[in-house]
Amino acid sequence: MMARMLVAAGLWIFALSVVVPLLWVLMTAFKTGAEIFTAPWGWPQTPQWQNFMRAWQEAGIARYFINSLVVTLGTLAILLPIGAMAAYIFARYPFRGANWLFGAFLGGMMFPLFLTIVPLFFLLVRLQMLDTLHGLTLVYVAYSLPFTVFVLTGFFQTLPQEMVEAALIDGCGHARAFWKVMLPLAKPGIIVVGVFNAIGLWNEYPLALVIMSSDERRTLPLGIANLLMVEQYQSDWGALFAGLVIVMLPVLFVYWLFRDRIHETMIAGALKG
Amino acid sequence: MTPRARAAFITGFLLPATALYAVFVVVPVVQAFAFSLYRWRGISADRTFIGLENFRQLLNDPLVWLALRHNLLLFAGTSVVILALSLALAHAIGHDTRAARFLRSVYLFPQVISLVVVAILWMFILNPSFGILNAALKAVGLGHWAIAWLGEKPTALASIGAAHVWHALGFYIMLFSAALRTIPPDVMEAATLDGATGLVRLRYVTLPMLWAVLRIALVYMAIGAMNIFSLVFLMTQGGPDRATEVMLTYLYEQAFKNSDFGYATALAVVNFVLVMALSAGILALFRYNPQEGRA
Amino acid sequence: MKPSKLVPVWYLLLVVAALVSCSKQAGSPSKELEVACFKGGYGIDFFEQSAREYEQQHPGVKIKVWGNPRVWEQLRPRFVAGNPPDLTYPGWGMDHWALVYEGQVIPLDEYLDTPAYGKSEGKWRDTFEPSLLQLCQYQGKTYMLPYFFSMLGWWYNKEMFEKNGWTPPRTWSELLALCEKIKAKGIAPITYQGIYPAYAVGGFLIPWVISAGGIEAFDNAQNLVPGAWKSAAFLKAAQMMDELRRRGYFQKGANGMDHTGAQMEFISGRAAMIPCGTWLHSEMRNVLPPNFRMGFFLPPVLDDGKGDPTAVGIGIEPWMVPTKGTNRELAVDFYKYMTSLEKAKLFVEQKGTLMSIRGSDAANIPEHLKEPVAVFRRAKTVWSVEYRQWYPKLGKAVEDATAALLAGDITPEQFVERLEQAAEAARQDKNLPKHTYVRGKDR
Repeated sequence: MMARMLVAAGLWIFALSVVVPLLWVLMTAFKTGAEIFTAPWGWPQTPQWQNFMRAWQEAGIARYFINSLVVTLGTLAILLPIGAMAAYIFARYPFRGANWLFGAFLGGMMFPLFLTIVPLFFLLVRLQMLDTLHGLTLVYVAYSLPFTVFVLTGFFQTLPQEMVEAALIDGCGHARAFWKVMLPLAKPGIIVVGVFNAIGLWNEYPLALVIMSSDERRTLPLGIANLLMVEQYQSDWGALFAGLVIVMLPVLFVYWLFRDRIHETMIAGALKG
Repeated sequence: MTPRARAAFITGFLLPATALYAVFVVVPVVQAFAFSLYRWRGISADRTFIGLENFRQLLNDPLVWLALRHNLLLFAGTSVVILALSLALAHAIGHDTRAARFLRSVYLFPQVISLVVVAILWMFILNPSFGILNAALKAVGLGHWAIAWLGEKPTALASIGAAHVWHALGFYIMLFSAALRTIPPDVMEAATLDGATGLVRLRYVTLPMLWAVLRIALVYMAIGAMNIFSLVFLMTQGGPDRATEVMLTYLYEQAFKNSDFGYATALAVVNFVLVMALSAGILALFRYNPQEGRA
Repeated sequence: MKPSKLVPVWYLLLVVAALVSCSKQAGSPSKELEVACFKGGYGIDFFEQSAREYEQQHPGVKIKVWGNPRVWEQLRPRFVAGNPPDLTYPGWGMDHWALVYEGQVIPLDEYLDTPAYGKSEGKWRDTFEPSLLQLCQYQGKTYMLPYFFSMLGWWYNKEMFEKNGWTPPRTWSELLALCEKIKAKGIAPITYQGIYPAYAVGGFLIPWVISAGGIEAFDNAQNLVPGAWKSAAFLKAAQMMDELRRRGYFQKGANGMDHTGAQMEFISGRAAMIPCGTWLHSEMRNVLPPNFRMGFFLPPVLDDGKGDPTAVGIGIEPWMVPTKGTNRELAVDFYKYMTSLEKAKLFVEQKGTLMSIRGSDAANIPEHLKEPVAVFRRAKTVWSVEYRQWYPKLGKAVEDATAALLAGDITPEQFVERLEQAAEAARQDKNLPKHTYVRGKDR
């Protein structure tokens, strides 16, 4: 009984440590700049809805929002299939040099990003893909592959072989077996990987910063960073926090929508196994 | 399947990912490696070949060793905390209590918001004048503990670590949550029936069965600690007096403040090698799964 | 067995993506100008407005002005790729001197010797404050131009001072006495932006080096004269800073404050004085309490100091014309327009900062700028922290050591030792081009 209470207490503490700061950001978004510093933990005197208006205008959020959406969805649409395909090979079809190739993918996660930015920049200039949404998308796919392949490979390794073998015996080709049998089985893993990639892509900053220079094609993180730095100079902290709320809300909302799904599929996947 | 057909299948499935990766990641990385052999200001295309001079300079640079120490300290400190907390929470989250259900909905929030927000948030929490940490300490009578957490050498690095843990925890909870589900419930039941208490179950059932995942998690934590950048950059800029300097912030400084791109790339190469070595070391060290020793 | 039918689709995607090109602008005709600016406390609206006005006066010309608070990050790869903008104000994060060493920006002397905008005689050069122009020179050539400039000094809370009958201290002994009184009232006498030690360097260290040893003490240090960084003047300045710390006159926790935090402490009345540049008002204008008045004064000097008590520290953020830009004449002419006297005066009025154009202080100066303007007019000596841009490692070492000194982690003796070591490293660095500052007739 004691243990159960301790566990519950621990859970609540952690849950609060997560939720309270975010609620605080929400509350702060309604304050005036001065209030934020003089009474940071108190309730706003009058809700400053104008903060949101200024954040919307200053950060050009509508435009950036769409850019971010297009790039994120586009990236996922390409990344998940080809990542799963590659992971499947690494997991189930050993060949000479496979470990090296896998290691090469892994290595990509470890090299700090902003040093490849200059050679990458040159490359995009040559391919005429600089400052384009499709250019950014392809770059994002490439840089998301290591994590995706890494996780999905491990995931595929834990999935049972029987169903695939049955399909093969039935005369199904290996590729078909992959798309028709393996992939549906791998849905939980793919969803998890997809969600994590989506979050990272949504918040991605350094690559977008260098690749997208024109205002019309910038993504949301650039807008928010802009807001942060502009507001630092103008001390319009209310607008900054309002901007943060506007940026966080969609992600949190989408996550909230999918939260049960994620858990469902995780539990279901485990029970099947 | 004929060998040729198999080869075609493998190639076909691997090609898209490999091609994209090669073009946009590998080629720039190799080029960047090449840059480490040059002196380059990073502001025009002119560079001078100087061989391994950058690496020689690196070995003699006390700040590099200092930064590396901080990275390793962060790894050691945060991985212990993250492992302990995430395992415990992943386990607790599986229950069907109200608390667990609520936590299931929110534990990924810190991962969902960008590091910029995390940094701002923690800067406010740790603010010496009106931050909530000091306000809470004063409220419970521990006012003399209320210091400038990010501004004092002894506590700055730990403060960064705290923010890092807060941000990263959700991912590991998810990882272990999924992994815990792969433990067949009958094994757990059998252990409980045999009279094993929680901790005993943890040691003899849970940990061995989660071995593969634990290894991967540890590798991830290593990579995260070695490549930490945004939080330090935004919260302390490596200060005060280099107390929180890490490899990547030092690298950034060399490239963009000192216009020494060659040296910075050399640092990146070394950091990369260290990360690989650390990961390999962890994988090797923890390869032996105690469970496999049993029948 | 055939590979999955879907595989070719990905090939196709890749090829298509590679081929599809976002149309890069074909080489710009000579009437187009791209201007990239740092967007800081003063924004870029003034420059955009100037562009519109210029376009009206010169039909057929198209000027694109853009910018953001970290524009240098985007400019750097463009410089490397060889397609920089035509005119740029890259901001404090860009290593200007690297651009100069690499020949990425053109010397402007030939243009400076032509008349200013709208004039048919005289030299554009003469419209600038000479002391500011000198900061833009390397090996006798002028590679960049100033626009607005900032002054460094201390700010005090006017209302607080008036209420308590205090006056801004002019000497060290006055400062100590005043701080004691302020402390007795439970207010922090001095706060500072600990996370960015550059403020303390410009607000405490250098002014006191100059006060103790004369301007030569600082000039020698900037010129990397051996031993200059651990001279008696530097030791004295360090001891003064240490003294303030030991007496508890610095706000507790200042070392952990960023610029906004420390400045908020000042604005909210929890601290009485703060070192900062003349951008302070502009930076904090959205959070100033109503009727808040801030006063500017030079750091208090030693009672028996050698240096010129009117010496003032300044800083510029330069503009430059990239070598590989496409339209130099237009770039220069547009900048001439922006530095015309009328535009300069307008900038002073709108943005509340000083301009590098002589006579621009005849404008309608905002209230908080009046004291700085008076200080500048009185100043017989002008100094600027140049070593930080010339020798970035030295600059960082000075800042790190200052942070350590202010935290009480090192003694003044250790402090100057560290400084001299860093200077020696800079001296020995064969790959670091050296600058020599020759003090001309100042004002």
